[in-house]
Amino acid sequence: MEKAADRAAQKAAEKAAKKAAKHVSVQNRFTKKHVRRFIVSIFLYLVLFDLAFVFLYPFITMIIDSLKSDADLVNITVKWIPSSLEWGNYQVAFKGLDYFKITDSFPFVGGFLMNSLLVTAIATIGHTFVCAFIGYGFARYKFPGKTVFFGCVILSMLVPTQVLIFPLYIMFSGWGWLNTYLPLLVPCFFGFGLRGGFYIFLFRQFFMGLPYEMEEAARIDGCGALKTFFKIMLPMSRSSILVCTVLSIVWHWNDYFEPSIYLTRRPDLALLPSRLPAMYAALNQVASEAENVSLNSNVVVNQAICMASTFLVILPLLIAYMFVQKQFMEGVERSGLTGM
Amino acid sequence: MAENQKATTKAKEPKAKKTRKPMKIKTRRSLEGLMFVTPWLIGAAVFFVFPLLTSIRLSFSELTSMKGFQMKWNGIDNYKYLFERSTTYIPNFLTEVKDTLIDTPITLVFSLIIAMLVNRDIKGRGFFRTVFFLPVLLGTGYVMEVLLSSEMNGVISIPSGLLQAIGASFAELVTGFLSRITTVLWKSGVQIILFLAGLQGISASLYEASRVDGATEWENFWKITLPLVSPIILLNFVYTMIDSFTDSGNAIMSDIEHCFNNGALARGASMGWFYFAFTFIVCIVVLAVMSRLTFNQGER
Repeated sequence: MEKAADRAAQKAAEKAAKKAAKHVSVQNRFTKKHVRRFIVSIFLYLVLFDLAFVFLYPFITMIIDSLKSDADLVNITVKWIPSSLEWGNYQVAFKGLDYFKITDSFPFVGGFLMNSLLVTAIATIGHTFVCAFIGYGFARYKFPGKTVFFGCVILSMLVPTQVLIFPLYIMFSGWGWLNTYLPLLVPCFFGFGLRGGFYIFLFRQFFMGLPYEMEEAARIDGCGALKTFFKIMLPMSRSSILVCTVLSIVWHWNDYFEPSIYLTRRPDLALLPSRLPAMYAALNQVASEAENVSLNSNVVVNQAICMASTFLVILPLLIAYMFVQKQFMEGVERSGLTGM
Repeated sequence: MAENQKATTKAKEPKAKKTRKPMKIKTRRSLEGLMFVTPWLIGAAVFFVFPLLTSIRLSFSELTSMKGFQMKWNGIDNYKYLFERSTTYIPNFLTEVKDTLIDTPITLVFSLIIAMLVNRDIKGRGFFRTVFFLPVLLGTGYVMEVLLSSEMNGVISIPSGLLQAIGASFAELVTGFLSRITTVLWKSGVQIILFLAGLQGISASLYEASRVDGATEWENFWKITLPLVSPIILLNFVYTMIDSFTDSGNAIMSDIEHCFNNGALARGASMGWFYFAFTFIVCIVVLAVMSRLTFNQGER
C-alpha cells in the first residue's frame, strides 16, 4: 500500500519534472523553483495521508463496528459500510457504563464519568508540577548520590506495577487507604504513581535542552533557586509541560489495573475504563444465557456494544486532545517570536 | 501543594546558614539540587523502597502463607528452576530481547520523520497531529488489544499476484515486515508527540540564520535539528526500550502475570527480577553511552 503510493508519487514527480523542464525553457527560473516545491509538497501529502490511514485504521474500525448490527458483524462481506446504522448500540453502552449516574455516596453530579475526570485531573496536576520540579533538579544540579538516585528513577520506570502490586496492596491496606482514591493520587505528588519516573526523565531531558544563560543571568542578579525555577524555567518549558499533561491525562484515564485492585469494595468509586471488563462480562453472560451455551470469557459476544462503550470511554480524551493540540500550534509561533 | 511547602522550608535552610557563615558555592548548589529532588526522595522512601525490596526478597523465597505475606528464604531455588527446568523462559527471554532490539531503532526513525513532517508549515497540521496521536488514546485500552491480535495483517496488504511472483518464503518475510511496521507505527504516538515538543523548542531564528548563510535543508537537519533534539532521542530511546520490554502483551510479561494470577508469586517475582535486572543494565548502558553523544546546553 505504502510502496504503491510511493511509486505513484515518484511517477507523478517524474512527469511533473518533465513538464517543468519544458516550461522552464520558456519561462524564468522562478517557476522552476515553484514547480519543484509543488512536487515536493504533493509527495509530502501523499506520505502523510498514507501514514494517516495506517494510524486511523483502528479508530475507523472501532467506530464502524460500533454502528453495525449483529447480522453485519457476522457477515464478512460487510467490512466498511454497515447496511444500517445502529445508534441503539450507543444507548445500551451509555446505560451500561452508568456514564452520568448519580450515586448516593458520591455527592457530585454525574457518575463514573465524574469519578474519572476528578482522579485524572488531580493526578495530572500532581505529576506535571512535581515531576517538573524534580526533573529540574536532576537536569541542572550536581549533588552527592545523583547518579544513584537517577538510576532509581529509571528503575521505577522499568519495574511494572504488576510486580509491585502485592507489597503495595499490603502497605496501603495497613494505612487504611484501600477503597479510597489515595493510593492512586498521593504517589503522583511525589514523582511516583503511574509512570511517574518517566515524567521526571522527560522533564530532565527537556530542561537539559534549554539554554543556561537565562538562569545564570538570574543568579547573578540575586534570584534564588526556587524563584528562578518558577519565574524563568517553568514559563520557558511550555511545550514539555503540555506533553507531560497530555500523556499523564491519557495514561491515567486509560489505566484500569491499579483502580481495579484498590477499589474492589467500592464499586461506586470505580473509574470509567474499569467498567469495561465488567460490562463485557455482563454482555457475555446475557448472551450465554440466551443461547444456553457456556462461553469462554475471552470471547466477546456483542462486539458492537463493546466498541460503542469503548468509544464513549475515550470520547472525553478525544475532545480534550483536540483542544490541547491547538495549544501546541500556538506554542510554535510564540517560541519563534521570542527568539528563545 | 504539600511538596512545595516542604521545599520552601528546606530552601530556607541554606539561607539561614548563610547569615552565620558564608557557604561555599559548591555546597550551596548541591543543597539546592537536593532540595529539588526532595519530593522524589520522600516518595522513594515511602512508596518505592519497601515494595521493591519485598518483591526482590520474594524472588529468593518461598511464600508460606498469603496471610501477612509470610516468606521463607530458599536462596536461588526459584532462579535455578527458571534455567534448569522451565522450557519456555529462556527462549521467550531471547525473543523479547531480539524484538526490542529490532523495534526500537525502527520506532525512533519513523517517529522522528513523522514528527518533522507534522512540524512543517503544512495544511491540516492539526488534523495530522490528532491522527498520529489516536493510537495512544486507544492505546492501553481493550480495542487496541483486539486489533493488534486479529487484524494486524489487514491494514497494509500486498496484491496476491505480487505475492506469487516473489515466492512464498520471501512473501512471508515481506508481510511479516509490514505487519511489524504497522504495530510499530501504532505504538509510536508517544514518541511522535515527544519529538514534536522537542522540535518546537528549537528556535526558528537558528534555521533562518543558517538559511541566510546558504545551508540546505539536509545540512540543517544534521547540524541543527539532530543535535538540538538529541536529549529527546535519548528519552525516546529509553522509553521505547522499556515500553517494549514491559509491554503487557509480550511473552515474558504474560508469563509473570499468569504466575501471579495462579498464586505462584515467588516464581513470578524471580522471573520478573531476572528480566528487569537485565533490562535495567541495558538501559543504564544506553544512558551512559548516549549521554556522551547528546548535545547538552549546560549542566553544571
